[in-house]
Amino acid sequence: MALARAENLSFAYPASTAPAIRDVSAGLAPGQVTLVLGRSGSGKSTLLRAFAGLVPHFHGGRFSGRVEVAGLDTRRHGPARLAGTVATLFQDPEGQVVFTRVLNEVAFGLENVGTPPQEIEARALEALESVGAEHLSGRLVTELSGGELQRVCLAATLALEPRLLLLDEPTSQLDPEAAEALLELAVRLARDRGTTVLLSEQRPALPLTLCDRVLFLEDGHLEFDGPVDQARAWLEEHQSSFVSAGGDVGVHLRHFGEVACRLDRVSYAYQDHLLVVDGASLELRRGEIVALVGRNGSGKTTLAKIAAGLLEPLSGRVERRGRATYLSQDPGRYVLRERADEEVAVGVGGDLAAASRTLAAVGLAGYESRHPRDLSSGERERLALAAVLAPDPDLLVLDEPTRGVDPERKHELAALLKANTERATLVVTHDRAFARAVADRIVSLAPDREFVHA
Amino acid sequence: MRPAPAAALLFGLAAAALLARHTVSVAALAVVLLAVCLRAPVPRRWPYLIGAVGSAAALFVLTPFVERLPGTVFWSGPTIPVVGTLDVTSTELSGALFNACRLAAVSLAFSAYALWLDHDRLVQAAGFARRSVLAVALATRLVPALERDAAGLVEALRGRGVEPEGLRGRARLLSPLLAGSLERSLNLAEAMEARGFGRAGATRLPQPQWGLREPVALAGATLAVVVGALWL
Repeated sequence: MALARAENLSFAYPASTAPAIRDVSAGLAPGQVTLVLGRSGSGKSTLLRAFAGLVPHFHGGRFSGRVEVAGLDTRRHGPARLAGTVATLFQDPEGQVVFTRVLNEVAFGLENVGTPPQEIEARALEALESVGAEHLSGRLVTELSGGELQRVCLAATLALEPRLLLLDEPTSQLDPEAAEALLELAVRLARDRGTTVLLSEQRPALPLTLCDRVLFLEDGHLEFDGPVDQARAWLEEHQSSFVSAGGDVGVHLRHFGEVACRLDRVSYAYQDHLLVVDGASLELRRGEIVALVGRNGSGKTTLAKIAAGLLEPLSGRVERRGRATYLSQDPGRYVLRERADEEVAVGVGGDLAAASRTLAAVGLAGYESRHPRDLSSGERERLALAAVLAPDPDLLVLDEPTRGVDPERKHELAALLKANTERATLVVTHDRAFARAVADRIVSLAPDREFVHA
Repeated sequence: MRPAPAAALLFGLAAAALLARHTVSVAALAVVLLAVCLRAPVPRRWPYLIGAVGSAAALFVLTPFVERLPGTVFWSGPTIPVVGTLDVTSTELSGALFNACRLAAVSLAFSAYALWLDHDRLVQAAGFARRSVLAVALATRLVPALERDAAGLVEALRGRGVEPEGLRGRARLLSPLLAGSLERSLNLAEAMEARGFGRAGATRLPQPQWGLREPVALAGATLAVVVGALWL
């Protein structure tokens, strides 16, 4: 018997005329790991929110059909009542932190659901231990890296010992090793404790090897629902970008020009004197795309900022020819103006024609007059990309450009980057499939700060 | 020290600054609180210190121009419609100094609260009105969060080759900063609701026992208010 079930579920957000979810019916069995796939904006997060009761209780909007979790109808029982039975890990860990200290953060949910006081600390510490973060219990959340914070947020959900665990793109900020550990933990919970796990992902390769079942959403409609073996065949046939390892983007015989940027034994330490980059050297030539990979906290972003001229190294030499632009990990930083074209034009002295051309190049033609904050998360990612492409830089530095981007868009992004043969491009990424698809050279920033070229 | 008595002590010092009648007394309180704030890490303390000292300095500069008190005239300026003749007198200056010290002391007490207190434990210590205390604690975190957001916006601008210059350039960041904080508050509210916030029957982590410093701090807070009202 299913632990949770959606029957003919349809839902539209208050400000939207089109439904985010249309007539979806699916049951989730105890101990089953179900993977939800689909493009950006296809309704994955909305489906997860419906099982948490956040849709419709928190968001409002038009809801029809029925969702039941552990025998509780979500129309009559809100998210606070469902908490404990259901636990949700959201995409952005920074947006869900309430307290300043890690232990208090993990204990927050336990307090809310009325756990006996003498059990709270032990359960919080046990949850932290299960995600390998017990050493962080006394730390301030502001001191943690994105990966560490994601593990703390996962611990906060696991501490509740939920029967239904909802994971909304939980690995988007994690390096491949940490992502694998997180997903294996979710599978272990399902096998050992009978926890039902529903997770959405944009990097489906690994989850497809671990999950039991796949749901595929297209424009809010459930296009596929079946066991993982059948899902692979279906994806091969209907959505090949979700199972290909990056693929060929159609540009061959690339020739590299003069050096656009050279980092020679650069080092950098933040104010707490923690050496993040130590004696790193890197050369980028025009026409070349270099992917910089490595574990969380290995100094990739710092090195990328040094290359782009946003940070001055403590020691070593930086040579840069021409203009450099840098794409931040957070697309929420590209919302300074009221219109998308004006936002993109910021870097080109207000040239709206150039901005429109760049918007079209990233697939946002016709979005000129839209307010940046009204765009979906995937569209905001593309707007941010347009903002750094518009100045036509000699050196383009992209920090995690595929976070939250669906496989098809990643393929388009790879093609867009490879189409330019004049520019040097440095891509910082955890997405190995994307790195293989786009890069002429992959540079791994290992934990001991040594470079490994592939 | 546990945060509730520490907050009470800071509140007592701020109340003493409001009740005191002598500029020297208020200035001494402000200096003590400034010393407390200066012990905080440099990157965290500067927005608070700029806010506290800057607003006090602005009050000191502006007050003589809007007040009309007798005394030795140090400067006499033009006559402005509605406002009248601008002048600066000795009485106005001493009044301005007193009010500026008072504002600085109160602002620095808040700064010390924001910089030093463990807000988590303050929320947990709240025996009643926990929701209100949590709201205050989250609001206290707004300043460092806005500071991080502002740094992020400036970095994204520099990443496009644009340097935000001057007051006007930075003022343009205010609107996106506020909109961003509203967006974040919605995300946080959703996450809190998903984690059962507001559900009946909530419990809390057991609190550690009080030591010697806690009653001393409470006594100090009471003493500060009484001394401020009667003798300072």
